Amino acid sequence: MNSHEKYDATFIDAFLVDQKALAGLKYQDIASWDSVGHMRLMAALEEAFGIELDIDDIIDFSSYEVGKVTLSKYGVTFEGA
Amino acid sequence: MDAPALLAFDIRGIIACQRNRYPVLLIDRVDGVMPGKSARGYKHFTYNEWFFPGHFDDEPNVPGFVQLETLTQTFIMTFLCLPEYQGMKTNFVTANNVKFKRKIVPGELLIVDATLQSFKRGLAMGAASSTVNGELACSAEFVVAVPDILNKYKPKT
Repeated sequence: MNSHEKYDATFIDAFLVDQKALAGLKYQDIASWDSVGHMRLMAALEEAFGIELDIDDIIDFSSYEVGKVTLSKYGVTFEGA
Repeated sequence: MDAPALLAFDIRGIIACQRNRYPVLLIDRVDGVMPGKSARGYKHFTYNEWFFPGHFDDEPNVPGFVQLETLTQTFIMTFLCLPEYQGMKTNFVTANNVKFKRKIVPGELLIVDATLQSFKRGLAMGAASSTVNGELACSAEFVVAVPDILNKYKPKT
């Protein structure tokens, strides 16, 4: 599983959404991405990618797309995405 | 190397750690506390409890929501005993696999064993179970939020 697939799978598992719903998805767009869901997503991403997110990055992680930029700061690459 | 000393809290200590108060403070004492890991709570049920006359007048027994609350209040002591979290309010997020196995009646002592599996950014996950005279009474798995911490990590909208 490449980084892109892992990233998508983490979102899908955390929020129980379809793959097609991910593009453009923002915090609070869906009921499951509330403050609790956000913490679950952050914990799941940390586990999936073996990283520890800084508090500022957790606060800035406001959408599916922004999250990719955030993870790139931790060495996660999304080539071909 | 000696094992770390376990903490114990009387009712004043519990009140200092958590925000539940009469009539919904439903544990009397906590001991065997390994901060950030586990705790054992005690609740003595007497007929003077406010819920017995209504549940039920002809057959008093401890309502399920009270049993669940005793589990939760012991569970939250696993992290609210830590100085940085003392006195913070908590909210239920989920309670799963809740099982009630035994009726609890006036005069019985409930012992609750709680384990904290993880605590990160204001989300506590874990489980607790209770016994009376060694018999399983109730068990559940929890996710509990500490809003004062959780809110620090919310994306700005």
